Amino acid sequence: MPDRLFQVGSPSTHEENGLSVQLGRLRLPNPVVTASGTFGYAREMAGIVDLSRLGGIIPKTITAASRAGNTPWRTVETTGGMLNSIGLDNDGIDAFITGHLPYLASLVTPTIVSIAGRSQEEFVSMAQQLSQCEGIAALELNISCPNVSGGVDFGTDPDMCARLVRSAVESSDLPILAKLTPNVTDIACMAQAAADSGADAVSLINTCLGVAIDWKRKRPVLGNMFGGLSGPAIKPIALAAVCKVKAKVDVPIIGIGGIANIDDVMEFLVAGASAVQIGTANFYNPQVCMQILDGLPKALRSIDADSVREIVGSLQHRSPNPPSSAVAPTSQPTSEA
Amino acid sequence: MSDVSLVGKQLPSAPLEAAGPPYFADGLWQGTVEIMENVQLAQDTFRVRFRCPEIARKILPGQFLMLRMSGCNDPLLGRPFALYDTTQSSSGAADGLDVVYLVIGKFTSRLSQALPGERLDVWGPLGNGFSAMPAEHLIMVAGGIGQTPFLAVAREALELRRYGEPLRRRPRVNQVTLCYGARTQEFLASVEDFQELGVDVRVSTDDGSFGHAGLVTEVLESVLDQSRLRPTILCCGPEPMMAAVARISSDRNIPCEVSLETPMACGVGICFSCVAKVRQPDGRWDYRRTCVEGPVFGGQQIDFS
Repeated sequence: MPDRLFQVGSPSTHEENGLSVQLGRLRLPNPVVTASGTFGYAREMAGIVDLSRLGGIIPKTITAASRAGNTPWRTVETTGGMLNSIGLDNDGIDAFITGHLPYLASLVTPTIVSIAGRSQEEFVSMAQQLSQCEGIAALELNISCPNVSGGVDFGTDPDMCARLVRSAVESSDLPILAKLTPNVTDIACMAQAAADSGADAVSLINTCLGVAIDWKRKRPVLGNMFGGLSGPAIKPIALAAVCKVKAKVDVPIIGIGGIANIDDVMEFLVAGASAVQIGTANFYNPQVCMQILDGLPKALRSIDADSVREIVGSLQHRSPNPPSSAVAPTSQPTSEA
Repeated sequence: MSDVSLVGKQLPSAPLEAAGPPYFADGLWQGTVEIMENVQLAQDTFRVRFRCPEIARKILPGQFLMLRMSGCNDPLLGRPFALYDTTQSSSGAADGLDVVYLVIGKFTSRLSQALPGERLDVWGPLGNGFSAMPAEHLIMVAGGIGQTPFLAVAREALELRRYGEPLRRRPRVNQVTLCYGARTQEFLASVEDFQELGVDVRVSTDDGSFGHAGLVTEVLESVLDQSRLRPTILCCGPEPMMAAVARISSDRNIPCEVSLETPMACGVGICFSCVAKVRQPDGRWDYRRTCVEGPVFGGQQIDFS
């Protein structure tokens, strides 16, 4: 296969390079998107990554009014991951529209704006306001942030989730993504509610609730006590969520959770995600998205795939009762895990 | 990787206390380096040296860089470290970096055992650094491991070396004093490095095992009382100490800059972990990112409450 078919990141050719993905009404030039809260407002990273190569950018979640955020400490490393309790520190939607959106809109990369409201009315009002703005490709409803009160109910109650997604879909012409929390009994049930209400895709998963303790001082490490666990430690949890939703719900999935290299990306695509979001890895490897995009064409070629789309959900299920001779998988990762 | 460095254009030329623009990592270099040397300087205190001309030729005193063990997910995140000093090639060009660190957690424990040849992921230079304002008597106040950003400051202030790209020229300072507070004599690190430059080093220890027995702020007060030159204070150390120094500088109407050390996950402004209470023009405080708005702030800008 000629290499030119895989020229990652040149917008004019993405239709034929096999990398573009479709998420409901949202088309992205490639499946590599930066996760909200892990890429600032993109300008921070302009000197570090070629923003034009990204499949999409999701800036830090915005709220209707400005929020100071939670008391430090806000993050702490745990084994294989980190806990965060930032608390949606942001200057509010108006400051975002005047201060950050003009820069984001000037990029060729699609901008997906992540919003969090304290009520359905606030979500609707934000969706309406953003629909009047130029340069936004889609909205992601953050109904899963574990660090603020109010928002999280929308992600744990299927009826509330359904009503919220429906109202957002009806109040905006933009594609709507619903970002779901893993801190529920049945995430497929939540995804079904979002899909039935017209969500273009579901983003799986937000962080897992966690706590870190300083036993010598008998205090929680984080100022807010509870935080969200992210990083490589949660990748299996995220993959399980993708597999569960893929099996039960007909809705495009964006996989998130511990993705740090091209092998991780391929795992999520095969499991059923149409696209992925890179989060915590941006913190400890600022060029991780570029490295993933560099590796994507080769990884596709290595399994004789011509496009990202054809491998999405290509997971071969094992027999529920494998023969006793079944052994561990023999496939080798294509790069260091 | 962008070769376009905006670092030189973003230097804080404004007077002290003015809120600066964000210092985004537009001149950032990220890569893997090999440890050349990793030596113990004092109790729990080490200096690691590695070749890294890309960062060494750009970095300014008071800026920082992120380090992590290459290819290792535990510890996972990078850790911020102040520039201790650059090393130079035979031609005099900056080509290496020295970082002095105190062993306090998982990463620094691991780093303290690292041998020459082991690889580190590094990215920088990051943050704003100390401003190169004119001063007659530069008084650097350090507590704990807070002396580390000041060696390069002193070297530049005494016109012994220039830093940055293009090379920055700061007005010569007549006198440089380091007020250095440590727990005990065993924790005092690299005092000779400062003395060799001609810095007047005044030490205090908590237990009186060396120098003044008591607080470093008491040493500062006596230096200020004796100084006949126009003083400027730079400060780095534990927060209560920095709060006290900021108060002294305010009471005496002396310009003061503090370098904050806050828990940081990324160093480049995308995680919003490393916030401090920074006073805003309207008089209220807001949590601001120390990695891209600092780590150096005017002493009166920080709400230490």
